[in-house]
Amino acid sequence: MRESYKITLKIRRYDPDNDRSWIQDYHMEAGRILRFVDLFRKINEEQDPTLAWDSSCEHGQCGTCTVKVNGKPLLACELLVEDAVSYFETTIFHIEPLDVAPAIRDLVADMENAYEKVDQVMPYVIEPEPPFEEGNEHPITAHELEVYVDATRCINCFCCASACISSHNSFLGPNAMLATIIRVMDPREREKDKRLKVLYSDQGISRCHSSMACTFVCPKEIDVAHFIALAKEGRFK
Amino acid sequence: MAEDYEIKRFRQAITTKLANVPFISTYAKTRGRAYVIAWCHRISGTGLVAYVMLHIYTLSSLETPAEFNAKMKLFSFFIFRLLEWLLAIPVIFHALNGARLILYESFGCRDDETMTRWVLGLSAVYVLLMGMLMIMGNQSVTPLFFWLIALIISTSLAYLVASKVWHSGTSIAWKFQRITGAFLLIMVTAHLLFEHINPSVGHEAGVVIDRIQHFFIKVTDLALVIAILYHGGYGLLSIAKDYLQSKVLKSSCAMLIIVIMVIFAWIGLRLTLLV
Repeated sequence: MRESYKITLKIRRYDPDNDRSWIQDYHMEAGRILRFVDLFRKINEEQDPTLAWDSSCEHGQCGTCTVKVNGKPLLACELLVEDAVSYFETTIFHIEPLDVAPAIRDLVADMENAYEKVDQVMPYVIEPEPPFEEGNEHPITAHELEVYVDATRCINCFCCASACISSHNSFLGPNAMLATIIRVMDPREREKDKRLKVLYSDQGISRCHSSMACTFVCPKEIDVAHFIALAKEGRFK
Repeated sequence: MAEDYEIKRFRQAITTKLANVPFISTYAKTRGRAYVIAWCHRISGTGLVAYVMLHIYTLSSLETPAEFNAKMKLFSFFIFRLLEWLLAIPVIFHALNGARLILYESFGCRDDETMTRWVLGLSAVYVLLMGMLMIMGNQSVTPLFFWLIALIISTSLAYLVASKVWHSGTSIAWKFQRITGAFLLIMVTAHLLFEHINPSVGHEAGVVIDRIQHFFIKVTDLALVIAILYHGGYGLLSIAKDYLQSKVLKSSCAMLIIVIMVIFAWIGLRLTLLV
């Protein structure tokens, strides 16, 4: 097993002041278990402090560091150098920001723009069922939860939206669909009609062509296509 | 354990093969096998819509049989025979992959690897069968019997899909796309087979005109034309919507597709009723 690799990162840069985009090469010796966020930090510290990139938790829980590596949307905090070399069978990596929102600078995209689509499906309980008389909570049975618990792992990293065969122009996106499907399945939610209306609207699941790229790229291993297919079938229980 | 490993290896075989094809490998690796297949479905579907239009246009010359026979003479050349045979590839792939999508979306079949193997396997069998029939020549199958069987199976499949999708909240247009897809699964593949079981039925004006005099054949042909044009039109619009941003452009595109489909439906209707 090799301890380190000589790698090249070809990063798409963007300068908003001059509205200029270009590819910049960074060559480095990288330890096998370094993550891609570590590589970006290494570039900042050793080669180029001007490279802008985004991250927050760096534990695969927030989706802030999502980028495209050799065309595949993924979390830069989860991708190890040795895994990338083995998966892509190369030591040259093309890194781009996600294409679901306009770039602000280099690898930083304006995710507020992307979140507008998720906001449209209201990813929260709109009208909660009243709590039972004893206590304040509304219990969900294990059986009820089992149906949709996998979908609740979604962190809105937008990997699925970026990979989807349907464009970002007319489709709210697989993650937005997942968010609304969860609430339709959620027994605590009383407001189902409003959600079904969005789900079956022209920007909803009819835009999904079942290319299943969402499932393939999901870093949380959610079978997104399965949940969208359930919604197409009208099976929410 | 060893058996599980073998099954897993076999299941991964398709993905691995796709990952070794240049250009496709990039997408197989970054979006998955189903994504590549989805693109093949789009490309084959778009190509088939173009072919159907050409086919209806060619058939429209049946009103002057001599002109039709002159056009059909082209198909005696080897290159056109080869192209006719190659047409079987997009037809059967699109039909079976469409069936796979319906099974996945509306019947809860989630073993996509197995379904994909069936799509590819059955497609190969169909294409070989087609080639064999083309080499064998005339099999003298009664049109009425052939189309009765095809229509019964197709209508049953369409009914089965309709009963499944009808109560979901999806739009009527989306539902009809699936229903016509199920109907066309057998009808279109049977149509291509029929042309080569009895080569003269597709290539000689007199035989074609004689065949479509029968009321049942008229109804069958008309149902086929309408279902194809609806299915193709909806498919094209669905793809266009992925690329067009403004509402005006989307509406204009929808109108254009509807007008084109209505024109070709009219040519088909005229052909069936007047010839």
